[in-house]
Amino acid sequence: MQSLKVPRIVWVSLSPAQPTGPKAAAAAYEPIGSLSALLQGPRADVVVLDGSSELLTPALLQLRRHPDYGLSLIFFSGSADRLAEALADGPLPAESSAVIAAWRHWQERLGLFNRGRLPERFDHSLLCWLWLRPAGLIQPVCDPSNSNFYHYPLVEALAGEGSINVNSWLQQKRQENLLEAGDLLDRLRHCTACDSNRLNYVDVCPECHGLDIVRQPSLHCFVCGHVAPQQDFLRGDGLICPNCLSHMRHIGSDYDRPLENYRCRSCNAFFEDAEVDVCCIECGQRQSPDELRVREIRPFRLSETGQLSCRQGLGEDSVASQYFRQLKLMAQPGFLAALDWQIAITRRYGKPRGTSVCSVLGMRFDNLKLVLNELGEPGTIAMLDSLMERLQQVIRETDRCMRGREDVLWILLPETPTAGLHILQERLLTGLESIESSGGQKLQLRIVGCGLPDQLEKNEDAPLLLARLMGELF
Amino acid sequence: MELALDSVLDLSGLIQQLQSENGAMRLFLLLFPFFILVELPLILVVLLGVLRWKLRELTLPPKHSLYRPRVSCVITCYSEGLDVQRTLLSLCEQTYPGEIELIPVVDGAAVNQRTLEAVRAFHLDPELYPRRRLRPIAKWKRGGRVSSLNAGLSMSSGTIIMALDGDTSFDNTMVSAVVRHFEDPNVPAVAGCLRVRNTWTSFATTIQAIEYLLSIQMAKIGLSEWNVVNNVSGAFGAFRRSILEQIGGWDTHSAEDLDLTLRIKSYFGRHRRMRIPFEPRAIGHTDAPSTILGLLQQRLRWDGDLLFLYARKHSGSISPELMGWPNFIMTVVGGLFVQVILPFIIVGYTAVSMIVLPWPTLVALAVLVYTLYFLVLLLQFLLMLLLVSERPGQDVRLLPVLPLFPLAMFLIRCWSAVAILNELLRRGHEESGMAPWWVLKSATRF
Ligand SMILES: [Zn+2]
Ligand SMILES: [Zn+2]
Ligand SMILES: [Zn+2]
Repeated sequence: MQSLKVPRIVWVSLSPAQPTGPKAAAAAYEPIGSLSALLQGPRADVVVLDGSSELLTPALLQLRRHPDYGLSLIFFSGSADRLAEALADGPLPAESSAVIAAWRHWQERLGLFNRGRLPERFDHSLLCWLWLRPAGLIQPVCDPSNSNFYHYPLVEALAGEGSINVNSWLQQKRQENLLEAGDLLDRLRHCTACDSNRLNYVDVCPECHGLDIVRQPSLHCFVCGHVAPQQDFLRGDGLICPNCLSHMRHIGSDYDRPLENYRCRSCNAFFEDAEVDVCCIECGQRQSPDELRVREIRPFRLSETGQLSCRQGLGEDSVASQYFRQLKLMAQPGFLAALDWQIAITRRYGKPRGTSVCSVLGMRFDNLKLVLNELGEPGTIAMLDSLMERLQQVIRETDRCMRGREDVLWILLPETPTAGLHILQERLLTGLESIESSGGQKLQLRIVGCGLPDQLEKNEDAPLLLARLMGELF
Repeated sequence: MELALDSVLDLSGLIQQLQSENGAMRLFLLLFPFFILVELPLILVVLLGVLRWKLRELTLPPKHSLYRPRVSCVITCYSEGLDVQRTLLSLCEQTYPGEIELIPVVDGAAVNQRTLEAVRAFHLDPELYPRRRLRPIAKWKRGGRVSSLNAGLSMSSGTIIMALDGDTSFDNTMVSAVVRHFEDPNVPAVAGCLRVRNTWTSFATTIQAIEYLLSIQMAKIGLSEWNVVNNVSGAFGAFRRSILEQIGGWDTHSAEDLDLTLRIKSYFGRHRRMRIPFEPRAIGHTDAPSTILGLLQQRLRWDGDLLFLYARKHSGSISPELMGWPNFIMTVVGGLFVQVILPFIIVGYTAVSMIVLPWPTLVALAVLVYTLYFLVLLLQFLLMLLLVSERPGQDVRLLPVLPLFPLAMFLIRCWSAVAILNELLRRGHEESGMAPWWVLKSATRF
């Protein structure tokens, strides 16, 4: 059986001064004297790094950046710091059979990734790295020298020199539902102006926000209500109110200590608790702590959708969604808000039952994949181009479009009664009909429409309406 | 006596006697022998002392001193609960610029969890009170007040030791007013002044408020002027550490305050210049028993202890050689006679009058006696307001209750006779609620 190929496992000694060599238990591994020797030689299947953690971390970074070893199984023998742990596959298992089994598993999953295509782009590499390790995590590592305190060394290493914004890239993949966030590890606060987290928290006067405040024990006279610093009351051995001259002999019956224990030297205000201001060291911006931008630090792993995509093919963006981009698209929240507003307007000022004042239309290509397969890309693109032309003619300036899930295009058509909606549907379908097709397959469009408010169901709002219509499209 | 009674029986004879030469004087002597012989001189001594004190206070310029020894306040706590925090806070609030060590000793902490928690929950803000230290002691087994005081004493580091009660809070000038006296090496102890904190809680507390004002605040000012203070209150006294160590701390299980005072006074004979000043400006506010029953029980204990001390324990040390003549006279007259013997005279006289006198005469006599007592009382009270009280505006509100005070005092004196009898017959002090039997058993016997 050729699948039972024996992997080439190399043991790289990182410290040349004291070549440790394979230990007795690890005699099965091929010894290599240095990292450069490994990189110059033929590609190994599994790498074991041996050396102190100071040597281990740079070696791991170098290997993960290398095109040959970015995705490889890399173990370490000995101790490792957090950075090395985030990059490597853990300590070397005691038995070489476990290493071989791990590699077989890895090899098998590599074959399944993206329908057998090896990753070429960076983002595919990272998804692949996670795909190859079912328990794999993109771990954040705390680094005091880093201006953000936390970074994701694996993402940085795989991204290589073409530096991307790691955080926004991770957020994007999370929005695309390919990655999901793990347990919260930390929470950082950043300046709203420059996003720096070098912040200074200072207690200030709540009145004038001056810095120069002092704790000053003060007293409160029960007779006249006078509040002043303690020393203003001291006369000889006793306390006498400077305002009403009454003796203050016993706390609780003649006087008490007000909660206002701080005084501002700039504006002389008395106050209970200082306010805290945050001053950005980088840009000098002053803000209150609850204004700060909060950043959560979490590890990331492949989501279920991500795993499905890795198995079924990541591909590029679907053809349809690329085409929809030519329209002026709204983001989902804006579209939903506009739709909700229209629903509210039509409900309130709607004409008698049976007439609509506004319409929603949803459409999707029923057989795009089939057409693509049959006509190939150039033919399909030509068809889509003419369809988009038609669509842009039909859509008015006041209409609003949104790309929904599963490549559905939603159009909100204000001041369009149900009759107008039907005319629009007709036009789109006849337009599609008239598109020349060189082969037998024709592009099929599914369209669903709804007139507001008479086709609206009770208590239906924008998300509910779209969900109902979505059901009719499939 | 027989003759006197016969003459009283006959009201017309009485009127005749009154109309005759020296008649009023004769009747007066007949009716108030004990009053004239003992109480009036005592009141005079007090009033003269008060006047002297007031003159001195008005004429002497205020003294500024750099004498600031560390003061340790041993606060005996039992079942006061949250009130302990009031005591601790009032001590933190002292204007005294020196160091004050607060040593609350919770006796029987195992059963007095609430008090213990209150002590533990008390947070001493070191920024607000930089010269105050809190060193609480929890005594799990109940050992009584004396053992609490001695435990506090052994843990303390101050030059001046104050013995205070957990249900007493203090004016903020208390420590500085007390410490001033210790600058004089002849002062081994200073007595503080107690007032009633819960004046308006009940009739019993209102009466006690008047009693405290007159018999503690005013009387002790007067006595102190003649260096014959009869007692350093247990709820509120200050001692020089050296004298406590010399006499071996607190001893006995009851009336330990009076016991200690008498033992200190027994040095007076050898050290003629020694004195125990009373500081009227060192004021503590304490909770008085709020029910008549509670008041009677307290007095039963106090008066029983009193006899025990005077008659049994200190019968040897009460002598002019040991105490000096003024203190000896004061202890015999003011202590032994007024507090122990006078109650019996009053009860006996009343009983005899009730048996032998006809009702109209009895009523006339009672009105007469009452009027005289009330007039003397009114005079005392007004002088107290004018010369002594540091809170005259507050104290003047007691004036409407004043007419009832002689009656209440009469009842309390009768009760004292009961208490002393009880002590004589049943050694009532051993039933004292303040110390359990195992402490009593191990206490030194006399
Ligand atoms: Zn900034
Ligand atoms: Zn200010
Ligand atoms: Zn005032």
